[in-house]
Amino acid sequence: MKNFLRRVVNTDFLPMNEVRKIKVVLVMTFLLIVTAATIGFAFYFDYTNAVKIAVMAVFLFGSGLIYLLIRFNRIMAAIHVTIIYTIALTMFYTQGTDSFYAYLFFYISLTVIVFYQELYIFLSYGTLVLGYGIFYIMFHEANLIAPTDILGSVYAYVVLLVLFYLIFLFQSMNNEKLYTDLNLEWVKLNQVIGSYQDFTLFHLEEIRKKSKGVPFYEDRAFRKAVDELSVFVCEQLKDRGKEITNVLDLYIYIHERGLAKIIENEELSVSTKKIANRLDKYLLNRRTDMVSILMNFFTRFRSTDGYRPNRYEYHLGRLAPSTAEQVIALAFVYRYLANEPTAFDHYGQPDKIMSHEEICQLFAAPEMDEFLSDGQIAFFKENADLFRDHLGRKG
Amino acid sequence: MKREPARVFPEIEEYREMLEIKHLRAKNHFVLLLLALGGILTILYMAITHYQLAYTLSLAVAFSALILLNLACLAYGRENIRFNQLNKFVTTLGVFSVAVAMIFIFQSPSMLSLLFIAYAIAAFYQDRKVMLISNVSLLFMFLALMTNFRDFFKVENTSAENDFGLYFFVIIFISLLTISQYIMIKQKGFFYNQIAISRETEFRNIDFMIDMCEKATGSKIDTKGYFAAAEAFSKALSEKIGVDDAFAGKLAVLKDLEAGTKYERIIEKHPEVAADDLDRMSELLFTGRHKLRKVAIKMSRARAVDVHRREIFSETQFKTFNHPSDTLEIKIIAFAIFYAALKRGSAGMRPLSEAEIYDAIVHTDYYFYNDPAVMRIYRENNAVFDAIVKDAFAPEGGK
Repeated sequence: MKNFLRRVVNTDFLPMNEVRKIKVVLVMTFLLIVTAATIGFAFYFDYTNAVKIAVMAVFLFGSGLIYLLIRFNRIMAAIHVTIIYTIALTMFYTQGTDSFYAYLFFYISLTVIVFYQELYIFLSYGTLVLGYGIFYIMFHEANLIAPTDILGSVYAYVVLLVLFYLIFLFQSMNNEKLYTDLNLEWVKLNQVIGSYQDFTLFHLEEIRKKSKGVPFYEDRAFRKAVDELSVFVCEQLKDRGKEITNVLDLYIYIHERGLAKIIENEELSVSTKKIANRLDKYLLNRRTDMVSILMNFFTRFRSTDGYRPNRYEYHLGRLAPSTAEQVIALAFVYRYLANEPTAFDHYGQPDKIMSHEEICQLFAAPEMDEFLSDGQIAFFKENADLFRDHLGRKG
Repeated sequence: MKREPARVFPEIEEYREMLEIKHLRAKNHFVLLLLALGGILTILYMAITHYQLAYTLSLAVAFSALILLNLACLAYGRENIRFNQLNKFVTTLGVFSVAVAMIFIFQSPSMLSLLFIAYAIAAFYQDRKVMLISNVSLLFMFLALMTNFRDFFKVENTSAENDFGLYFFVIIFISLLTISQYIMIKQKGFFYNQIAISRETEFRNIDFMIDMCEKATGSKIDTKGYFAAAEAFSKALSEKIGVDDAFAGKLAVLKDLEAGTKYERIIEKHPEVAADDLDRMSELLFTGRHKLRKVAIKMSRARAVDVHRREIFSETQFKTFNHPSDTLEIKIIAFAIFYAALKRGSAGMRPLSEAEIYDAIVHTDYYFYNDPAVMRIYRENNAVFDAIVKDAFAPEGGK
């Protein structure tokens, strides 16, 4: 419980699938509270006792189903069941009593649906609830209007419910677009960071070879440390910890044989191959998730320039406001691209230098929006020969 | 007392805030649209039903004032971002005030939903302080109206059960709205956080790459060659456009900056530049870890990026040791490898101390990269972890 609350408070640190899980657990808790209250309210409902008991049994079954789906990590299915459960509660209330509070269930249902922040879920279930809400208002107006109510108050109910739906629809659409844009930017950034890390890893290997160091996975002390740490943690969480050493042996074996050979090996069981496949992202002999996380973590402890507001600014126009400075900056950038290695060559060495034509193509690419203004690109095109002749490749 | 998790890189806070404000403007446009729609519908209804002119005009003025305020804040927000923030607080209070005014004017149970509409409009901002204002306003106004103006909401089928149900479900509804808003605000924060962390990670990874490249190859940028080429280019360009060498002065200043000459000396030599100019121009240096080199490196990678739509929301993009598809054993091994690798260090990566690792793992975002159970074990037994690794790495330990 304490751990769950800690995760709720720190939702902004958790990935989407974890947040979905938290949402379903919260909605399930909410539904359990409402269902418990429903036992009391059901005494006033117009149904026969048999119907009341049958419906409560169905709700109980629904709660059990949601619990099982969460337990077995079927989160999307659990989301659908919680929404159907909420709509069923709405119908149970609105068909069972003439009281005004039953009308609130349309707002409650829409709030539960929008909580999940999935546009297609809101469009399908949300529209269904809205349609049912309008039907309810039109056909049960006696439950909703006051003895001396305003003219057309039934339509006010409809308009306000539609507005509530529309506001959350706009919000869902806006969030969907925002999250897609941010995700795209994030994925692109991660790919670019990966390309830097490929270079860094290459150089780190060169440095290791020069200093005659052994790789992590061949270092017996490292293997011993990992082995003992794993057994220790496993023993704290399970009855026996020694079994984990089999998984660890497999992990080392993948480094020696390679995943492809393990998958092809007919003597190994399917479950072993599955585990090998999952371990692949944590290998230490190429740029895997493990290596990326290690590098990123390590950069935290390296010295860095003090923070300035333009720390993440890479646009020449904003780094150099004057035209003369922009021209000089563009000249240096061209010189760098035309003379320094910036990619891996055909032999897997980080020695590839861009040709003048490649630089021209690069400067004309839409990705350059982040670095150059239209004016700077036009200037480069007009004077491309000067750039090539004076700043091009040495020798 | 347990510390709140901090950002893995303290530098990102300002950038996160900037990202929030950038998207706040788009939300302001939506709110403006909703206010205009609400205002038109209300005035239209009052005109059709021949409501008293005084009421119609007062609501028209209230809606107009809110819309004008939004427009003004949007305009001034371009100059000073604080206006965008001011706007969300004033609009939140404004929509609740208009909702209450309408409840008093119409005195109909149908108008109770106006409080929910006001809440929904304010929820657009997805801001923690706005959420607090909305919650307090909604709860206070509901209770105040139900207690003192119960007649407004009396429908034909009034009963004790109805009264209790209304209180109970409105409170339940407000709780649900609060939890929902809280999680949505946090969820949005996750994306801003990830972008900001990636920006800083990129910045530091470029530095790391440059340093390792220089360490591995022993080669540095040929500064003299760069300046000689730039001077030749500058002369040729000046000739082409028919002016005196327009860039010589700037290049001379840059050359001094690149040589590490003190600001005072440079200003003495080039009286036309001030310290602020030198600060700005130092962004145009290209050796070591300087900015222009980073620009060129980043530029060279720009076209190598190829993202497919299906990859965007893929969980595999999130690098973590807590993948839902992994078994507990895999999660344990992943953390053990990570921890032991940090302790061991390697060429170019110094071994980290227990205090450094513990602080970064337990008190920052990295805590959530791991399975909660594994993290609990580490948090409670970090001294044991330290001892195990020290023992293994002791001169005779690896045998």
